[in-house]
Amino acid sequence: MRTLLIACGNSLRGDDGVAHRVLELLGARAEARSVMQLTPELAAEIAGFDTVVFLDAAAGIQTVIIEDVPQPTAPAPLSHVSRSSEVVALSIALFGFHGRALECRIPVADFAAGQQLSPVAERFANQAAQLLRERTS
Amino acid sequence: MSRIQFIEPVTRIEGHAKISIQLDEQGQVSLARFHVLEFRGFEKICEGRPFQEMPGLMSRTCGICPVSHVLASSKAGDMLLGVEIPIAAAQQRRLLNYAQILQSHALSFFHLSSPDFLMGMDAPPAQRNIFGLLQNEADFVRRGIRLRQFGQRVIELVGGKKVHPGWSGPGGVHHRFTSEQRDEILGWIPEATESLSIALDRWKGLIDSFRPEMDFMGNFPSLFLATVNEHGGLEYYDGLIRIVDGRGNAIAEKLDPKRYFTYLGEASEDYSYVKFPYYQPFGYPQGHYRVGPLARLNVATYAGTPRADRELKEFKQRGEGAVCESFHFHLARLIEMIHSVERIEELMANPDLYGENIHAHASLNRREGVGSCEAPRGTLFHHYWVDPEGLMERANLLIATSQNNQAMNLSVDQAARRFLKASASGEFEEGMLNRLEAAIRCYDPCLSCSTHALGQMPLVVDVIGADGSLIRRIARDS
Repeated sequence: MRTLLIACGNSLRGDDGVAHRVLELLGARAEARSVMQLTPELAAEIAGFDTVVFLDAAAGIQTVIIEDVPQPTAPAPLSHVSRSSEVVALSIALFGFHGRALECRIPVADFAAGQQLSPVAERFANQAAQLLRERTS
Repeated sequence: MSRIQFIEPVTRIEGHAKISIQLDEQGQVSLARFHVLEFRGFEKICEGRPFQEMPGLMSRTCGICPVSHVLASSKAGDMLLGVEIPIAAAQQRRLLNYAQILQSHALSFFHLSSPDFLMGMDAPPAQRNIFGLLQNEADFVRRGIRLRQFGQRVIELVGGKKVHPGWSGPGGVHHRFTSEQRDEILGWIPEATESLSIALDRWKGLIDSFRPEMDFMGNFPSLFLATVNEHGGLEYYDGLIRIVDGRGNAIAEKLDPKRYFTYLGEASEDYSYVKFPYYQPFGYPQGHYRVGPLARLNVATYAGTPRADRELKEFKQRGEGAVCESFHFHLARLIEMIHSVERIEELMANPDLYGENIHAHASLNRREGVGSCEAPRGTLFHHYWVDPEGLMERANLLIATSQNNQAMNLSVDQAARRFLKASASGEFEEGMLNRLEAAIRCYDPCLSCSTHALGQMPLVVDVIGADGSLIRRIARDS
């Protein structure tokens, strides 16, 4: 079983970089990719994996959420920034992806400019890492 | 009493922005403006940090064109050290800049704009997007993704990491280019060349059906500014600044990019955080200019690679001295992608790229440094001031998108006056609104790429009545 973890976020935007911290905590546990934002060519890259997990910061939630990437409810034009559901849909349609795609959303508190994570983000980064260890073990 | 119509935020471009449309008492557009509301403030983060850290830090200002920021920052660092970097390092930087142009332009052309071209400006927004293309244009969409993947792969192979390439810094680069890297890169060239030929032929076949868009989406004379080599040819990494007017006449030549502040000024407007750069001798706003693919092809006298030279010659025939329609940014992007692939292939055979000496070592020799290069969206300047210990005192970034700010405003205004006609109930047809956005997308602006976490960007249209009340709000997921 090949799993790919894709951490998304800008580590100069405070807690927005929390997903990269989760990858640090996980070490070399799975194949991983750090990106600032999701972009369409990831559709080609995820095609060969059995499971892909998109890790990202999320405001307005109280606990780490790991769930299936939703189907895009309506086709949406792409920004320079893609959504995980769009990457997966493109990969299925164009590159034959047939694995499982998950989102890991990590609660955060502060997107102010800077490289420090808030205590909230640090705590939930540890929780996310633990949950992903269990999933990928 | 006039009414103000807001469309916000603009979809499928980076950052956050809105368009306001002022209507007169007859319901006709009297003024349209493009507002940029996101404040970045990355210059502030730099203060007090060693200048050697800047390339890595600055690369994180943008998720789409990090290489451009690394290059401009590295070159500013080269100047602070007072060194001329080894030829192998310069060629490696050139290589990654071409890869960056390719991947960024592929995203703009294939993903953001091709739904407009292939499905039509009036197609329903639920279909006029990349998923709408999958049914009938899957091969086209796949080729666009693969082109972008090629550019990203070159950056990853050489830079080590795709998004934050820390391979380059003040004095040069950190790793030699290898024959293994060459072999993989060469393996991509045939497919990239074929895909670009297909796209260019397709676009040339379609382009004349967009005559109204060509004529009214930013068709005006302006200055054009770009970097050229010493003979006036296309140059993206290191050269001199040339400025031409809307007839193609040279206004200024062989300007030193390190002295940009002596001939470029920056004006402010109260409706936008992004400044309005202008050519100082002409004053503001008369001295506004365009940068990026359209400007580069207008400014350069030749490309320097076979296919791109043929296409450039044909491109120039579309204008009288200069091509003034911003709609032709799209064609210019395709030609630049072709040129980039040709240059990448050419570099693979250049022995200079494989040199052993890749870094010039020196300590701090200057307190002020400027670096510039041609980023996908236009000329990029990084200007640093450091203290005697090499800690950053101040930074100024003059980015391509801000240099096109005035042109984007003029384009929106022109498109609004031509295409927007409100119904009696204050509604606009979707195709009308899309043309407004498409006018901005010509420039592929990247306003604040670092704010991805702020979520999706729905299009909201507020129709404001003569008494200032909200008559109607239109929103669609995008």
